[in-house]
Amino acid sequence: MMKSRMTAISAGLLLAVGLLPQANAAMMHHQGMMMDETGMIMNANPDRLPRDCPQISETVELTIRAGREHAKKFPGKMFAYDQQEWNVKPCAKINITFINDDHVRHQMMIHGLPGYLYPEGMLHLELFGHGQLKASMILPSRKKTYLVHCELPQHQEKGMKAQLKVDGGDGDLPSIPGLTGPVRADVYPVNWSRQHIGMVLFSILIGSVVPFLFRKWIR
Amino acid sequence: MTPKKRYLLISLVAALAGAAWWLAPFGLEKGGALSPSTVYTRSAETGGTEKPCPDEHPEWRQAQTIDGVSIDEALSCDPDNPYDIAAAVKGTNNISMATLMQTRMAQDAVVKKDDLDGDGDPDVIEIKLEVVELNGASPDGEFLINTFDIAPGIKPGLWVFAPKSQGMALKNFFTMQANPILRAPSPTIRVEQGDTVKLTLENIHYLPHTIHLHGVDHPFMTAAGEDNDGMEEHAVFPGASHTYEMKPRHTGTMLYHCHVQTAQHMMMGLSGIFVVEENKPNNWVQTFNIGAGQVRHPSVKVKEGYSREFDLLYQALDKKLSAVIQNANDARLISKRMSREYNITESHENYFLLNGHSFPYTVRDGLIAAGENENIKLRIANAQRSPMALHIHGHKVTVTATDGVERPEAVRETRDVLDIAPAQRIDVDLKTVNDGLHSYGPGVWMFHDHASNGETTDGMEPGGNISLIGYQAYLDDKGMPKMHDEMLDVAFDKNYYAKKQPPWAQGDFTEMLGEPGRIEPNILKLAAFGLSCGGAFGLFVYLIFTGYRRRQ
Repeated sequence: MMKSRMTAISAGLLLAVGLLPQANAAMMHHQGMMMDETGMIMNANPDRLPRDCPQISETVELTIRAGREHAKKFPGKMFAYDQQEWNVKPCAKINITFINDDHVRHQMMIHGLPGYLYPEGMLHLELFGHGQLKASMILPSRKKTYLVHCELPQHQEKGMKAQLKVDGGDGDLPSIPGLTGPVRADVYPVNWSRQHIGMVLFSILIGSVVPFLFRKWIR
Repeated sequence: MTPKKRYLLISLVAALAGAAWWLAPFGLEKGGALSPSTVYTRSAETGGTEKPCPDEHPEWRQAQTIDGVSIDEALSCDPDNPYDIAAAVKGTNNISMATLMQTRMAQDAVVKKDDLDGDGDPDVIEIKLEVVELNGASPDGEFLINTFDIAPGIKPGLWVFAPKSQGMALKNFFTMQANPILRAPSPTIRVEQGDTVKLTLENIHYLPHTIHLHGVDHPFMTAAGEDNDGMEEHAVFPGASHTYEMKPRHTGTMLYHCHVQTAQHMMMGLSGIFVVEENKPNNWVQTFNIGAGQVRHPSVKVKEGYSREFDLLYQALDKKLSAVIQNANDARLISKRMSREYNITESHENYFLLNGHSFPYTVRDGLIAAGENENIKLRIANAQRSPMALHIHGHKVTVTATDGVERPEAVRETRDVLDIAPAQRIDVDLKTVNDGLHSYGPGVWMFHDHASNGETTDGMEPGGNISLIGYQAYLDDKGMPKMHDEMLDVAFDKNYYAKKQPPWAQGDFTEMLGEPGRIEPNILKLAAFGLSCGGAFGLFVYLIFTGYRRRQ
């Protein structure tokens, strides 16, 4: 229910709030934001072209799932998206279907977008619980890597972090599970065994014998 | 070398070694007739101090009406956001969007509906709480995120139950500070006797938690036959949600807390007050009391007998336990260090909180502002690990209820030290009647745990759960106590709690009680020591070398 309603509204929201009276009754508006009891969309942009884009280059249908189960493949993490990286062409339009597989809140925020299209430079999708919503956005042409994350306390920190690359991106962000290393790494003990120690001692022995074996050449 | 010369050189080596011994420098030296002069340490220049009252929202102090909810005046410097109060009274489902947007609460944080007994107030109350980590770690660098200072510069890692919120958890884009409803303590929850209450825990945290309704009348199982007592074996795991049900028949001041690894999780901050108010007509109770303590929309029953009401929750933190969540990001490492390496039987409480803050921050929002000849209701809960001996200066107060059960008039004690066992609650009448017993007259009177650890912040006094009862005549227009500027100036300084700032180093006493300087090393003496050492060693080696050559 939410899905269809939000799709309908996101299409019309920024154009004219008054044109969709039935939608206004169902959802509440607050400056570029739509919210009902199941979730919220801030700054969706289905049709306004960035200044540097003469037209939409490609339309990408993106399903992004969020939840605990997607973190299973990342030891020590707790929450994650089902993918950690997406690549699109410059001036691509993305139709996002955001699905929350958990029974608590999750967000999907994309940061670093041009402020004249996306206030605060951000697209913000949030589901208040299990469910899904749809929203669209159009990316500028610049070769850039955008941060995608859930800003709930400790969600990005515990794995819910990803990146969206336009035209191959301009680098990688740190601490993306399975993709890039953290800036502040955890420290784990190394599993030393007797065999490892023996191997080191044996290597030292071999290393010290080598000069004698090749003493003719050394002279 | 002649033997004579040789003996002479050996004697010289001995003499030089002796001189080196005599000249040897040490880390500590005795002072002389004049001990080292006082070092200037007042840290104002280094940016340690902050304004005692930032005065961010003076308009929040006024009595006001929002969405039809009357909100009492709060005199303290940093009172609660009145929009939060309006939302907590009417329900997030019954307020205007404009009001909701002034809070950070989700639309379903507290849903109020169905006047089942037809007495003019809603009787079905659905409350949603999340577990939030404050001052947590980040893999992205050496910083803490969603910060909450309990005192100047003090950011221990802690967990709170928070009303379900929406949008950004940070205050804004330019800070790591948590937004204002993500704060300690966990909010006081208020419901009416006989309400059908559904309390949902939506666990957004990365460890399992529960809500145990301590002292609140609740069935052992939910209607669906699931756990309703919040016990450890029915933990709500990350990403999951569970609803506890109750229809409390008995009124009083109760508690709620997490019952997973209770020792650690309560020491991390997961506890709050739960109040069941008497059923009265048109009794819209303030379901969340977030932060400051003053109940600015008291229940009908409380309004009948009291001019003001305050919820006072005492908590304590162990800095070692709090550091566990700041020193790792891997949930398995955190879990291991918290559950198996941390040992509560070998632990200390280091930080003492009253409504989430330690002195001097308690003065900003936890101050009990009062007029003369008032009857003020205090609901006090001890969620520390250790017992408390709460002492109130200038007053003797009367305990009217213990653990949510009214005391008969005949056994009500009037005292100035209140012993409160861990997890115990007391209801207290504070009378500001200047009769030499209940009050010694207007003033700014301190109240604090007299088990003296509680007066300190990691050993630094004044700190801990010290707060003030401020009579209006003694408060300025920002709700700060008059005539305490010097003391507040010292305490609103993070260098003071970092133990870099001597107390009393002010005015005439700057020299006498300031930081003693260090003894400057004597450069000539150092050089002489070095030369003697070197000479002795050099000569010694020379002698051995020449002796060896001669034998050859």
